[in-house]
Amino acid sequence: MASERGTMTLTIRTEGLGKTYYSGFLRIPYVALKDVNLEVPEGSTFGFVGPNGAGKTTAIKALMGLQRPTAGQGWIHGVSILYPAARARVGFLPERPYFYEHLSAQEFLDFYARLGDVPSAERAPRITRLLERVDLARWRDVPLGRFSKGMLQRAGLAQALIAEPDLLVLDEPMSGLDPIGRALVRDLILEERKAGKTVFFSSHILSDIEAICDRVAMVVRGELRGQGKVSDLLSGAVQHIEIVLRRGDEVQTRKPLPGDSDAVLDLARRDGWSVVTVHPVSKTLEHVLLDEVERARPVDTKRLGVLA
Amino acid sequence: MTAPFARMATRVYAVAANTFREAVRDKVLYSILFFAALLLLASLGMREVALGDRDKVVRGVGLGGISVIGGIIAIFLGVGLVYKEIERRTIYTLASKPVPRWQILLGKYIGLWLTLAAEVGILTAMYTLIIGYQQGTPGAGVYLAMCMLMLELTLVTAFATLFSTFASPLSASAYTLCVYVIGHFADDLYIFGKASDNPAFQSFTLALYRAVPNLGMFNVRAEAVHGIPIPGTEVAWAAAYAFGYTVAVLAVAMAVFERRDFK
Repeated sequence: MASERGTMTLTIRTEGLGKTYYSGFLRIPYVALKDVNLEVPEGSTFGFVGPNGAGKTTAIKALMGLQRPTAGQGWIHGVSILYPAARARVGFLPERPYFYEHLSAQEFLDFYARLGDVPSAERAPRITRLLERVDLARWRDVPLGRFSKGMLQRAGLAQALIAEPDLLVLDEPMSGLDPIGRALVRDLILEERKAGKTVFFSSHILSDIEAICDRVAMVVRGELRGQGKVSDLLSGAVQHIEIVLRRGDEVQTRKPLPGDSDAVLDLARRDGWSVVTVHPVSKTLEHVLLDEVERARPVDTKRLGVLA
Repeated sequence: MTAPFARMATRVYAVAANTFREAVRDKVLYSILFFAALLLLASLGMREVALGDRDKVVRGVGLGGISVIGGIIAIFLGVGLVYKEIERRTIYTLASKPVPRWQILLGKYIGLWLTLAAEVGILTAMYTLIIGYQQGTPGAGVYLAMCMLMLELTLVTAFATLFSTFASPLSASAYTLCVYVIGHFADDLYIFGKASDNPAFQSFTLALYRAVPNLGMFNVRAEAVHGIPIPGTEVAWAAAYAFGYTVAVLAVAMAVFERRDFK
């Protein structure tokens, strides 16, 4: 995919980012991330997709300073990810978040507001506003230990938004949520996007990515398999042709690849079938990802394994 | 724009307050305090069975009990300080904030220290009430002995914090307990080695003596019980020793924590 760096400001950029874990006494290497060159433009809603264990969380942890990369480097807002200052204007929601159970929602947000350098006069009104926004206002004084999973996720989102960041990094924000929770997260992301913020989020629920994101990057077996605009990735690409045939009372559906459709039609007509409909089915993100997974399948002997 | 120091102070305070709040909302701590109260009450009974100056025995057992319970709480809370954050995955949101990791660790350490100070304060108040009921108000030496205990716990907590940055609570407890026990017998260890004829054993005891902090120097409980004055220089030296040693141990803890990966 062609780079568009010349024409846009990048909020996140990595060059050859890699992470190898060493385990056991013999220090057996596990390559979790390899040579990742990520480019997330300012103001984009960027989907980071890949199967489970592909390296999405590892890449996010490297960006968030939770794990040191073993190769390459990265920048957020132009500051190296090795420095805490890179995360000065960043809000982060980790995957399946657990928070301090002894804190009430209000105390919890106050804690993160202080860590995020929110001025003291702004803390209380901002907490009230955010609790309303994530629909937790009436649970303000309830300890997080009594929250349901969906409520925790919403509290986590409020925590990520408390310092009014320019970049939101969300690791699997929709996983495990019911449809109402997912809709709330989706709306929040769209609101942030509307406000001109950059949103970078990972998910393996591709329909969500397709619905929300304008850009996407795919990671498979620790390697980036492409990135760019969603529309470019899917444009004009036809997955297969759906042909509905009829002979007497019998109805059949065939799904040849685009190049094979003429031959299938010729054969069907010769056998006495009449053609009811011919319908090209466009590629979805899921098809593109599955193609990439298939392409990445040959085992590289240098890679001894992949961790999440 | 806030000055960098004020920003740092706000962050460290936030982490310290959160650590303190978490500790005081932990039910386990109240169980320990309850048993401490029972122990102090039981020490009153020593009066009936002790030989010699019975009042002093009661005072000594009470102070010793506070010291041991203070040590247990320091180890119990200290070893889980970092590990619990990792285990509950709260570290992800904490360490991803634009806060240098050393400030996080410093905040956690201060929060833990404040918890211990509150515990020792409560235990001392209980002691004052119980001894006051039986024998009248304890002398000023008792309160100085408690201040010296806090100096000791300042150092023990620093070791617990260090071990918690890389070890599981079980291993960290074992390491801290080793430092605690050997540290209390440091002087004896030195004398024991000197008395030996074996040069290898002498070197071993000397190495151990130098490797662990000398916690015996903070023990002025006997003086407090017997009403013997405690020289100011001894207190000043103990304070300087505790402070210097704590800073060094925390610096190592911060260096380890800085490089730690959170999987």
